[in-house]
Amino acid sequence: MANEKPDFSDVTSRVDSTAPIQETPKPAPRTYTVVAGDSLSKIAKKFYGNANSWKVIFDANQAVVGPNPNLIKPGQVLTIPELEGAS
Amino acid sequence: MKMMTRAVLFAGLALTSLAACKKAPPPPPPEVPAPPPLAFAGLELGKSVDASMRVVAPTDVFGLRDTIYASVATTGVASSAALGAVWTFGDGQLVDSTTVQIQPTGPANTQFSIMKASAWPTGKYKVSISLNGIAVSEKEFEVRR
Repeated sequence: MANEKPDFSDVTSRVDSTAPIQETPKPAPRTYTVVAGDSLSKIAKKFYGNANSWKVIFDANQAVVGPNPNLIKPGQVLTIPELEGAS
Repeated sequence: MKMMTRAVLFAGLALTSLAACKKAPPPPPPEVPAPPPLAFAGLELGKSVDASMRVVAPTDVFGLRDTIYASVATTGVASSAALGAVWTFGDGQLVDSTTVQIQPTGPANTQFSIMKASAWPTGKYKVSISLNGIAVSEKEFEVRR
């Protein structure tokens, strides 16, 4: 059964402060091109060391992957977000 | 002899006035207390913020087209601190994640806001605030039709 999730890809965010803000350029997000035999779990294991973090990649790539996290295709380019608190 | 007495008197007078003119050493500067370290002071949600980045009317219920603001109050000083907001929907689906490096010199307010080109899905949301990578607060809110 398809995992229907809301699409938040059109969300934009802003931040402002009364304190001075230190400009830190955001590092370009990593990308990964799916090859035959890949799964989101495998890719999560490769980048995060934890297969259970597949959902982070899925959530960030729903526009590419579609609603089914079990169906990724060779050649698809996935964005690999930084894990929160991983630094 | 008279001349000599005068000379001695004059020299003595000169020395005395010189000593009187010599200023006492300035007192040591008062010890400046160490500035308080940066600390989380509060989190409020609302539909708008004022010029001081504070939520005008706190609420935890939003409409489908609202811009959602989270105003984070901090106290203290930091040469650089990472203040982050992670917005999630339902069982944890990531909506947005923003981190900013602030350099507060005293009490400060930082506002994070999210908006959506299409309507917000109705349901429960949560915003989690972190300071230097450590979770300091979270608040749940709801989007209703």
